Amino acid sequence: MNTSTLVLKQSSKKYQWAMALLYCAVSVLFLAHLAIGAKALTIEQLLAAFSAFDRNNFDHIIIWNIRLPRALIAISVGASLAVAGAIMQGVTKNPLASPSILGLLAGAAFAIVVALGWFGIDSPLYTPWIAALGASSAALLVGFIAHAAPGGATPHNLTLAGAAVSAFLAAIVTVFQLSNEDDFDDLREWLSGSLAGNNIEVVIAIAPWMILAMLAAILLSNKITLLAMGDETAKGLGLSTTRLKIQLMLTVVMLTACSVAMAGPVGFIGLVIPHISRFFIGADYRKVIPFSALLGACFLLGVDIIARVVISPAEISTGIATAIIGAPIFVYLIKAKLA
Amino acid sequence: MSRPLNSDQFTLQFFQQRLALRVNKTVIYALALVTLLLFALMLWSLFVGSYQLSIAQVIATLTNPQPGSPSSDVIWLFRFPRTLAAILVGIMMALSGAVLQNITRNSLADPSLVGISQGAALAVVVAIIAFPDLDKSYRSVLAFAGSTSVAALIMLLSHSKHNHKPMRFILLGIALSAFLSAVTTAYLTYGQLYQASAALGWLAGNIDGVNWLDVKILCYSSLCLLPILLIQSRAMAVVRLGDTNAIALGVNLDWMKYSLVATSVALAATATSVVGPIGFIGLIAPHAARRVCTSGVMGHLLLSALIGGLLLLVADVLGRRLIAPSQLPAGVLTQIIGVPIFVYLLLRKKTLPSS
Repeated sequence: MNTSTLVLKQSSKKYQWAMALLYCAVSVLFLAHLAIGAKALTIEQLLAAFSAFDRNNFDHIIIWNIRLPRALIAISVGASLAVAGAIMQGVTKNPLASPSILGLLAGAAFAIVVALGWFGIDSPLYTPWIAALGASSAALLVGFIAHAAPGGATPHNLTLAGAAVSAFLAAIVTVFQLSNEDDFDDLREWLSGSLAGNNIEVVIAIAPWMILAMLAAILLSNKITLLAMGDETAKGLGLSTTRLKIQLMLTVVMLTACSVAMAGPVGFIGLVIPHISRFFIGADYRKVIPFSALLGACFLLGVDIIARVVISPAEISTGIATAIIGAPIFVYLIKAKLA
Repeated sequence: MSRPLNSDQFTLQFFQQRLALRVNKTVIYALALVTLLLFALMLWSLFVGSYQLSIAQVIATLTNPQPGSPSSDVIWLFRFPRTLAAILVGIMMALSGAVLQNITRNSLADPSLVGISQGAALAVVVAIIAFPDLDKSYRSVLAFAGSTSVAALIMLLSHSKHNHKPMRFILLGIALSAFLSAVTTAYLTYGQLYQASAALGWLAGNIDGVNWLDVKILCYSSLCLLPILLIQSRAMAVVRLGDTNAIALGVNLDWMKYSLVATSVALAATATSVVGPIGFIGLIAPHAARRVCTSGVMGHLLLSALIGGLLLLVADVLGRRLIAPSQLPAGVLTQIIGVPIFVYLLLRKKTLPSS
């Protein structure tokens, strides 16, 4: 056995341990998320709610109708946005790439607001597709502007173009909000990125598409590693880069769109989690993708628990909590990576 | 000035050359033209609105005000302060942007893009929702505190001993403003609906509903800040040449930069505190002015200011007309118009105005 395979073995062992640890963390946080809240519940009550559901027991209703959907949404949104960010950073080799910075979140949110405000569509059967349309249009627009700008699609240009497109869409959303206050009052909380107020049907309707996109991400993950080495290298190794990029873009759009359809625009997860993942386990995307997914799920579950506990019985919006944690890391990235 | 001047340029000097202004005639013509347009638009702004008035009535009311009559009230209590506020805010935002672009030597700098407006916005929104009884006059203090903290934070973060990248200022500003707007949006969900609506209206940059007190605040603060800016304009010309050159020419660069940033922030903060964040005027006006006034600082500043006032007045009048009888906030309109211009600037070859 030569040294290189030994190193590989060692690192994969570390990776397996890390993954096992994260699985445990997700399960523990999941249970904690169900138990902690305005009304604290014991583990026995939790287990009873699952093993022997009692329609007349108020605690069981809380768990099934409020906490379970919320916990599932936290897991799926956290995982999806983290994976979307990881793919974007790998493909564009841009440390600032993420659904929020490059305007995908704003595009998806804008499309959903328009669909609801003008056509009254809010069924979870359609919202992921509407959000996907918005996210992909915004992504294409941002990419087009950055490519056309002098210097090409550098992190600087992409960030500026993303900020411009997001600002534009936000202004139009404000116009809608002001012109029709009653309808858009419901959207107020959703636009700040909120995990609350969804029922289990929303999760059931959207989760299959998320799982599909996640599987696609895992299947394509070995090729992302090649792509991250540079387009020339990837082509030299026999990869059809254009086709791969289109497949990856569709995956990213689907992941982002489903997240926005579930919880509104939740920023910073897609930016921060992939960086932490790569810090721990290196640049092999076969590992980065699953690791980011679990870490993202852990992060959002944890943030959501904190958001509900700090000023209990009221709640901090999840959007505030992720922004407060994410913004300092973003500042650090600009200082460290773009210096 | 020993330098020979072209026939289409001449020099104005005040205070033993403490203030010297070399202008070419195009700039003077442009200034005159914009001033004329501004006056014409002011008149138009006075008779546009849901209460119909003829031009004759407007002029009669202006020359011979009769308190109590509906036309007099509409003009003197609503439209006139509103018009003046739009112009003053436009002027202040344009100057703030022009100064910011000069110091950072980045043509994309704008107080609403780098988080200065958002800092003011967050402070005021928190005040509107958490302390709904707080008097409106405290808003300017809060807005000022909010913007100054953000500006200080950006300066602190983007400061680097090794390489001073103008771009870093902008990227950090974008990061901070994204963060601040996330917090502001989320904070809006806490308040009662009517408080949130009030805050949302303010956040959209609404000139609707200013009174004479607001106009006075704007007037006095411009009167304080504009002379400071004029005194600084000479040094600004040197700062434009780049850090190394400026130091070589004997400018105390750090002090100069901080005082200029302070002026810029003060302008943006006062304007924001009265009407809410007004996006992109600070970006567009200096660029438009630069098209005409290709060199020099004073002429550019004056022209930027007037164009800024004109632009915001246009946005306000359009906002009143477009979806009448409802009104579109001017800040939203400037943002919708401003973004394409920002993208155009991004696409252009040169990103630094002076290198």
